[in-house]
Order: sequence, then structure tokens, then C-alpha cells
Amino acid sequence: MIKKTDYLIIGNSAAGLSAAESIRKIDRKRRIDIFSSESYFNYSKPLITYYLSGRLDIGRLYFKDKGFYSNNNIDLNLNSEVVNVDSKEKSVVTADGTEVKFNKLLIAGGGKPIIPAIKIKIEESAGKEGINEEILTEKTLKKEDKRLKNQAVFSGDLMDNPEKVLRQICGVFSLTTLDDAAALKRYVENNRIDSASILGGGLIGLKTAEALLELGIKVNIIEIADRILSVSFDNTASEIITKKIEETGSRVFTRSTIDEIYIKKRKITSFKLRSGKKIPCSLLIIAIGVNPNTEMLKDTGIKLENGIIVGKDLKTSEDDIYAAGDVVLSYDILTDKLKNIAIWPLAVKQGNIAGINMSGGKASYSGGLFMNSIEILNIPVISIGLSSLEGNLSGDIKIYKDYNHDKNQYRKVIIRNDRIIGAILTGNIERAGIYAGLITNRIDVSDIKENIVKEDFGIIQLPADYRKHLVVGDGIEV
Amino acid sequence: MKRIYINEEYCIGCRLCEIYCQVKHSKSNKILKAFKKELPDIISRVLVEEIGCNSFAIQCRHCSDAPCVEACISGAMTKNPNTGVVICDEKKCVGCWSCIMVCPYGVIKRDLSANKAASKCDLCFGEEIPVCVKNCPNEALKFN
Repeated sequence: MIKKTDYLIIGNSAAGLSAAESIRKIDRKRRIDIFSSESYFNYSKPLITYYLSGRLDIGRLYFKDKGFYSNNNIDLNLNSEVVNVDSKEKSVVTADGTEVKFNKLLIAGGGKPIIPAIKIKIEESAGKEGINEEILTEKTLKKEDKRLKNQAVFSGDLMDNPEKVLRQICGVFSLTTLDDAAALKRYVENNRIDSASILGGGLIGLKTAEALLELGIKVNIIEIADRILSVSFDNTASEIITKKIEETGSRVFTRSTIDEIYIKKRKITSFKLRSGKKIPCSLLIIAIGVNPNTEMLKDTGIKLENGIIVGKDLKTSEDDIYAAGDVVLSYDILTDKLKNIAIWPLAVKQGNIAGINMSGGKASYSGGLFMNSIEILNIPVISIGLSSLEGNLSGDIKIYKDYNHDKNQYRKVIIRNDRIIGAILTGNIERAGIYAGLITNRIDVSDIKENIVKEDFGIIQLPADYRKHLVVGDGIEV
Repeated sequence: MKRIYINEEYCIGCRLCEIYCQVKHSKSNKILKAFKKELPDIISRVLVEEIGCNSFAIQCRHCSDAPCVEACISGAMTKNPNTGVVICDEKKCVGCWSCIMVCPYGVIKRDLSANKAASKCDLCFGEEIPVCVKNCPNEALKFN
């Protein structure tokens, strides 16, 4: 293991690799080291559910080919989780205790799944009458272990660490890494699973649902909000997708969550919903969200809220330390605030800008906005900006909608003070990016409102000066 | 790099650019065979927009900071550092449509025929002049 490097990058995904690439464009010589806690040379995180479903084999998950590292003269340190950062000494410490000094550091370690504290009860083994429920404590678990003649015991402060407990129960998974997906895939294949439950009806939950449905596994989706994908979908878009999911024989429980999990021989057997309904379960996936992975940054002086605070140069509060991607709070152009917008395109953009600034160039991050593209059961949906909010927006709000119920085609555009602030397209998503461009460039759309959700809405309707700006810069004369 | 320039005032909306684009990207590369046997699977990567007597043809601008390349989660969409051409490797594309979400020109389409993949202008790789430009009867498209 090396002890000193020029550019140290924590994270081997979208932001980290984008930064490495842009550093190398400016600085051909100095050393770049990427540290990854994982064991794969790289893979695209959004594709892990495609791997789960079998749509892509493992060899198709990478987004930069193997030559990327050698061509750019980048040293990749796998299985090297950074557990501590010293911003004064300019060094990091990895899980195996190695200290590595750096000149410039980029923190691009992404997010960590949120594991909620759920009460876990042990069901007595068969033979006794009824079910004797015990609340899980370290003691009862040890008892359970003895009964199973299993040498492994639950370690640590169990009740303080629900994550640790949940992770040691057979049949409970989270799904944010390729290792997670591989473990889940093995479990599904080895246990003849025909139904699964997913806690969380957000993006990860639904992508997981889609993969499982492709494997012929029915799903129960449990979502705490009043609809699935409540962050980016409005009622209509949610209804279209919910209906499609239910057509497969699966179920969607909204305004609900899991209150208790029941285990027997360390394996999940069922859980209880908030309503009191008990659902048998041999596979539970926890997908309630992801938090920026900032644990190793405590007491470093780096300014944190629920993410790393960065400026327009993507520098943190400490000199020579930058951050990019899902781990940061960066400028959101729609709310005018710092926000954690954990999406791929912004991770790449931020990585690129951070890399330029780290290697002596100059670039500024002008901000971004939330957007997402997801296809569920063959219905593509793109949501951009403040697309889910309806009632609680201030200003002069106008909403335009077009809904073809039979074709599952839905299009909605939200306009505030003559500027688009959000859009949803379902079914027919083509040309969605025109709306994203109008939002980003804050274009006055007061003259074209009437056509804005029409199926043939296009560049030709746009205000002439914007059209010119759009096209002249990159080669169109209007 | 050489680009396709659009002259809106010369476009007569004949859509020959679309037809030649489809033929160029068909399997047979023959106009009769393509239109008889391969429709609707061949997609034109150039798009004619028309309102009243205004019209123009638009295709990928091969942007210098291409948002589709940034947004691509599979590594299929790349910009050639030497030629500047933005290409989608349709074999690597997984059909997530992130590129469609971010393209401000709306010139990437969904090809649902074989394996779902994004379909866009490749500047007629291998041709000296892209076929849309070559076959425009009114020089509404220019390549230089």
C-alpha cells in the first residue's frame, strides 16, 4: 500500500471517476489514487437491479472499461475503505490501519442505505403451542443462538444498533451495492422465493420490485407516504404505476410501515404492518432511502449538515478537500438552497468541476435540479424539478395537464411566475429534455403555455431568442 | 469539428432528410426494401418540426459539454475526444432514457425494436457528408 499520493479520491463511481478523468486532462503527471471500499473495478450502481433480474450479466455493469485506469494512469485501491480523514495533517486512514497522505482530497463516497429501527420478535420453534413472542435483546438472541447450536452470536450493542441486527437476520436485505444485489440474487435462487416484500416505494424500492417481478416474484410494496414515488410523482403518475404493479398480482400498501418483524431460527417469517395486519414473509428488502456517507468525517472540521457542504468550486470548508456526488449538499436552482440531489448526471458534472479545480484549473458549479427517469413494467416515466408538489407552492402557479387514460400517457407541466419549475411525462417521454432545458435556463414560457403539454410540443414553439441561444452556440442558424 | 448547420428559412418541410436517414440506418440500406420490409423499426435520427409554413430539421448537436454523456449510467453514450462526435453504443445502452431526460434539443429517440436502446444521430459514420445534408434539395442543412 502506498503512503503518499497527490490526488486521493474516495469513491470509485460516477463522481470519483469523472473527477479522475478531468484531473488527468489537466495534470498529466502527478499521482492519482482512488480508494474504494468495494472489490469491483467499477460498476454502475443504477444497474444493480438489472443484474438482479438477469437482464444484464456482471460483465455489462461497468461504465468505464478496464483500460480506463491504465490509460489515465490512475491507481485503483480496492477493498480499501477510508475510515478516517485528518484535514490538518492531510491524510486518511483505511480500514486496515494504513495511513495515506495527500495533497488534494476528493470525497465522493456516495450514500449509505437508511436502516430503520424496527422491533424484532423471536417466534418459538415448532413443537410448542402457539407462538411465544419475545422482544429481541442481546440475551434472547444468545439464547436463540444456543438453541441453534450456532457459534456466531450477535455482537455489539444490539438495541442501539438496529442496522447490525437486521443485517444478521436471514432474508432481510438492503440494495445499494453490487454485493447486496449478488447476495439477494443468491438468496432468491436458493430459497425458491415466490413473493417478497419491499419497505419503501421510492426509486430503489420500485426498481427492485421491477427486477423481482421479472423473476416471477410477486411483491408487497410498503410505503409510508400516501402514494409510491411521492418525492417525484404526483397522484396521477403514481396511480398509473400502482395500477400496473397491482395487475401483476402484487400489492401496494400506502400510508403504512412495518412495526414488527418476526424471526425464527434467525430467519424472517413475517412482519406486522402499522394497521396490525400480519404478512408472511421470507424475503424483505429495505429501501427507505439513502443518506450521504459522512461517518468518517466526524471531528474533521469539514462542515457537515445532512451531507457535506460545498461551494461553487465544490471545495468543502477545509482547504484542499473537495467533495462531489451523492455525498454533498449542493446548490439547487429551483429552491435556491443547498440540497442533497443524489442523481447520476449531477455526480458526473460535480466530479468533473471538482477535478478541474483540484488540478489548478478553474470551473464553477452553477447548480442543478432533481430529475429522474425510470421505467416500470414497460411504462417509462420522467420527472423533472418540483414535479410532485401541487398544493404547497407559493407564487403564481399554473398547472397544465394532458392525460390519455387508455394509453397510460400523461404529461404535466408546472409553471411558476411564467417559468417552468416541474414536469412529469409518463408513457410518451420523448423530448422530455426540452422541459429540463427550459427550467435550467429559466425561460419565460408565457407565450407558449397553451401548447406546452401537447404531444407535438417541440423546439419550434420555443421563444425565438431562446431557440437561437440554444442552437447558435452549438451550430444552428435560425 | 465539422457540424451540421440548420437554415430554417430554406427548409420546405419535404422530410427527405428523414427518409434518407431511415434508409442509411436500415439493415438493407436500400430505400424500397427498407420501407417495404423494415418499417416501423427504422427510426429517423433527424426530426423535422413544422408549424404552418415554418419548418426546420434538427438532429443531435454533438454538444461540447454533452449532457447526454454526463447522464448516461451505462457508459454507452460517449464523446469521441478526437472527432467530437457523440455516439450511443446501442449494444451497451440499457434503455434507461436518462439521455432523453437531459437533451435540451429533444433529439434522442427510443428504439424499441430489438433491445431497447437510445437512437440518435451518428453523423453518418463512414460517410463524407451526412445523408440528411447530402439529400436536402434546398440546402437547408449544411455540413462544414
